[in-house]
Amino acid sequence: MAFSSQLEVANNVAKITLAGRLDASTAAGFRNLVDQAAAQKVKSVALLLDHLEYMASAGLRVIVFARQKMGVAVKIYVVGAQPLVKETIEVSGFSQAVVLLPAYDAALIEK
Amino acid sequence: MKTLALPGTLDALEPLGEFVRAAAAEAGFDAMAAGRLHLAVDEMATNSVTHAYEEQGREGQIYLEAEIDDNELRVALEDTGPAYDPTTRADPADLDRPLEERGIGGLGIFLARKNVDALLYERRGDRNRLTFVLHRRPASRT
Repeated sequence: MAFSSQLEVANNVAKITLAGRLDASTAAGFRNLVDQAAAQKVKSVALLLDHLEYMASAGLRVIVFARQKMGVAVKIYVVGAQPLVKETIEVSGFSQAVVLLPAYDAALIEK
Repeated sequence: MKTLALPGTLDALEPLGEFVRAAAAEAGFDAMAAGRLHLAVDEMATNSVTHAYEEQGREGQIYLEAEIDDNELRVALEDTGPAYDPTTRADPADLDRPLEERGIGGLGIFLARKNVDALLYERRGDRNRLTFVLHRRPASRT
């Protein structure tokens, strides 16, 4: 499936929905959305990954970029990651820097 | 043995993924193992395109081979860039550091190594050749 990405900002949360395959050839689209989200001074970012089939290190680099651009006060939630995407985040040592959730939890993310 | 030659650009990553996943499926690996192999080859092909070609201002191709025998699946990736052995590179030392303090280099080779049973480098003529090996365990045989 081709890569697609979408940004929606509401309640101080930037929801970024990613689908398909996120690799070095498609990561720029994700990065642009992080840039747009950062400009809106949100309190948290939720990456909605239910339909993301695959993520290479190019995707991890955008998460590093998000953390460095938005600062440590902005929480980054990774929601619904498929097993290999979750494993890639964990082995790379990112699970301490993002919150992994099986499903979107408005009470937690939008508080 | 199956082979595929692709232009040395990032557009090659999608057909590369199809090629690697098809080889893994043919060797009887499940979707998770196929995805791990795809990730390993994708990371190294991205490095080839970026470092062997784009940063050098060169054009070239990347070459894939897949070979299955009773014991293992071997996928080879070749480029015609300057000799470079990524397997000698140490794992990133900052994996457990906060993201705001981390560098972004070295993750590709780290993930490549982590996701296959063996990763081998050799220089063959004018080509860098990386071989990704997955052992076919009894449970994964067709």
